[in-house]
Amino acid sequence: MPNTITEQNLRALIDTLVKDGSRVVGPKAAGDMTLYEPLAGGTELVLGVLPRRSAKETFFPLCEDILSYQKMEGKMTVEDIDLSRLPSTVLIGALPCDAAAPGILDAVFSWDYQDEFYLERRKKTTIIGLACTKSDDACFCTAVGYSPAESRGSDIFLLPLEGGRYRCQIISDKGNLLVERYKSFFTDEEGGNALPLSQPSMEKLDLQKIREWLENNFESDFWKEIAERCVGCGACAFICPACHCFDINDEGSEGKGVRRKHWDACGFSKFTNHASGHNPRDVQPQRYRNRIMHKFKYYDDKFGQTLCTGCGRCVRACPVGIDIAAVLQEIMKYEL
Amino acid sequence: MNNTKENTTPLVDNSYYEAVTTAIRSEARRVMESGEVSAVIGYKSGRRKGSAQPVIISDVSRIDELVFAPTCTNNLSLYLTKAKKEVSKKGKIAIVAKGCDLKALAGLMSESQLKRENLHLIGISCAGVHGSNVKPSEALSAATIARKCRECTVHVPEGVDCIAGTLPQLEQLSALESAELERLEAMSPAGRWAFWKEQFSRCIRCMACRQVCPFCYCEQCLCDRNRPQGVETTPRPAGNMGWHIVRAMHLAGRCAGCAECERSCPMDIPLNLLNRKMANELKELYGQEAGMQPQEKGPLATYKEDDDESFIK
Amino acid sequence: MIGPIGLIRRIGPIKEMIMHAEKLKHDFEPKLVAFVCTWCTYAGADLAGTSRMQYPSNVRVLKFPCTGRIDPVFILRAFQKGADGILVSGCHPGDCHYMAGNFHARRRFATFRKLLEFIGVDLERLQFSWVSAAEGGKWVEVVTELTERVRSMGPMHEFKELELEECWSGKLDTAELKEAYEAIP
Repeated sequence: MPNTITEQNLRALIDTLVKDGSRVVGPKAAGDMTLYEPLAGGTELVLGVLPRRSAKETFFPLCEDILSYQKMEGKMTVEDIDLSRLPSTVLIGALPCDAAAPGILDAVFSWDYQDEFYLERRKKTTIIGLACTKSDDACFCTAVGYSPAESRGSDIFLLPLEGGRYRCQIISDKGNLLVERYKSFFTDEEGGNALPLSQPSMEKLDLQKIREWLENNFESDFWKEIAERCVGCGACAFICPACHCFDINDEGSEGKGVRRKHWDACGFSKFTNHASGHNPRDVQPQRYRNRIMHKFKYYDDKFGQTLCTGCGRCVRACPVGIDIAAVLQEIMKYEL
Repeated sequence: MNNTKENTTPLVDNSYYEAVTTAIRSEARRVMESGEVSAVIGYKSGRRKGSAQPVIISDVSRIDELVFAPTCTNNLSLYLTKAKKEVSKKGKIAIVAKGCDLKALAGLMSESQLKRENLHLIGISCAGVHGSNVKPSEALSAATIARKCRECTVHVPEGVDCIAGTLPQLEQLSALESAELERLEAMSPAGRWAFWKEQFSRCIRCMACRQVCPFCYCEQCLCDRNRPQGVETTPRPAGNMGWHIVRAMHLAGRCAGCAECERSCPMDIPLNLLNRKMANELKELYGQEAGMQPQEKGPLATYKEDDDESFIK
Repeated sequence: MIGPIGLIRRIGPIKEMIMHAEKLKHDFEPKLVAFVCTWCTYAGADLAGTSRMQYPSNVRVLKFPCTGRIDPVFILRAFQKGADGILVSGCHPGDCHYMAGNFHARRRFATFRKLLEFIGVDLERLQFSWVSAAEGGKWVEVVTELTERVRSMGPMHEFKELELEECWSGKLDTAELKEAYEAIP
């Protein structure tokens, strides 16, 4: 049973995967920050940093074409996207908070409508998760039921060991397939001791209680108090591993164009704006309320999961310092 | 922008922040208790150590929540514009403002968005604030200070109703932003195009730069329109380039230089370089620049018959 | 996108042949867009046509009430949609039908030029001019000069290339990548 891989071999595996025609996506330096991006080779993989944007992009692109149209001699032709052109991908080095997200999103993308773009990408992607060794005070995965050693969502999960090795846990058939195919990169040795993992400081939250409170407090003054300051940008939603709202836009001219699907955010005032001009979520607190409700109540009601993995990205990025973990802590303080 | 190579020794003593905080609280209490103002817009602490966030207080009992710290980066004048319609603007409102925020307030007054008599200005003798991506618990140092603050010319506010704190002795810091601007100006056009293309291609169109800007108060942003579509709304390199050019153009001659757009950008696009460049150009062309006093009209809202037209055939 | 009517009406078949012959001489025919005000430059271009003056057919004229109505976004959009060169033209200072539209436009375009320059756009592709209703000759001169200048510069690649770019996550598989993948046993 192959169960360890050295860092050197991990990088060599990336080289081989790329050579074999897979798109390999992993944390990569982009200027002064790190982003999940396609890697040209193993040396580009950056370890031990939480990328600025989540890995959801691998399945749910920032912007993608969903059809194209053309009008010729008065006749309109519409062409679908050939799904076989969606690239086969290995997502490597995804931290637990990112690796867990696709597993949550599967429910909504295959619910009343099968989102073929998401599902096809999902089918074609193998996730190699990596335990987290570095956290800061914005991290709160432990508070929402995850942990730095959480392997949920990964197909293969790597645990860093002393001496530059990783213990490799095979979680799914997909993971098994990859390990089988590239057996020579792995060894049977036990490896050394595990490296200490990060320890986010926040205590576990009672998500059931939060859900119940949300159930009864749609019209609470609390929303105004916490979200009057919200400026209505989409930073939190866009860098979130679990936010999955999108907009569809036709771009081009009357004669020729493309229909595109791209990220949207419930913080935008245009998100719920009706064609009539009426906006049911007219002010920012109502929009922020939707963010919390969707994450911790609606999604739970429908699919039995919460839409938050505690990565803390929104906490770090919010221009006005809105801290979702603090908001949840505040809710915990209320009596039911 | 993180200045990782810079010194991490604190630039100012903690007692400075304590003094400013105390001064803000006592002035806020005075005007709230006397009924002079209906609310105070200031900063309060957040969960993370050292963090701060904007707060709108309309209850005297909450005055002691007000603080001042290096994380008080926000330009609060945003909350007074019509873009923030959830904030009640009834009666007179007190607002905590740093020098750069005051320039924004003056600009908003110039554009008839605010009236001075409806504001009680609590100006701050400001030593500078954090740049982006700085851990809130870190002290203000050469390594953590915002790029805009390294070249600040408005540490001490003018024309305010009260000044909170006294400015400590400040170290002269190198002008990183000017240097970067000069570097870009010296490049070939192709080099600059490559630079901006890369920067803008990273944009995810979260619109944080627009939403935090006190001057982006249009009820209908041109860049949200789709019939007709002026700028592509999708986050692709083409639309991103369009959006950032339009943003810089619409702020030319109006931007107060608070650099909130740059700080808020989750993708670290150096937007203030564009703003500064445009401010420099307009100053050179028409001799006007953002200041602490309202102007009758901004440089692009007026004209002179003998304006330069050397570029017109 | 309709050119001055006079121009179309007055050019006879012989002139068309001459223009056609001229066209064959060049490898590259730049696309130019002219944003003009209806009161002066449009009338000036019309005069050029009614006076049977010739100028390159590369220019597409778009008329606006006033240069003050010409938004920098139009220029941007034109570049994005394939223009190689752009002309913005209106009334001489003091002649604006709306008193000061061109004065405001002058400041706006002076500013916009600086912005484009800073972004890295070659300003040689962007021409501003004052052409009055009486200056048919100047219109011909301005358009000819800009056409030849842009022709010598070659096509404007920057914005067009940007149009075709996608963010990595939205990219579809390339044929090569797919082939390589399918070759895996």
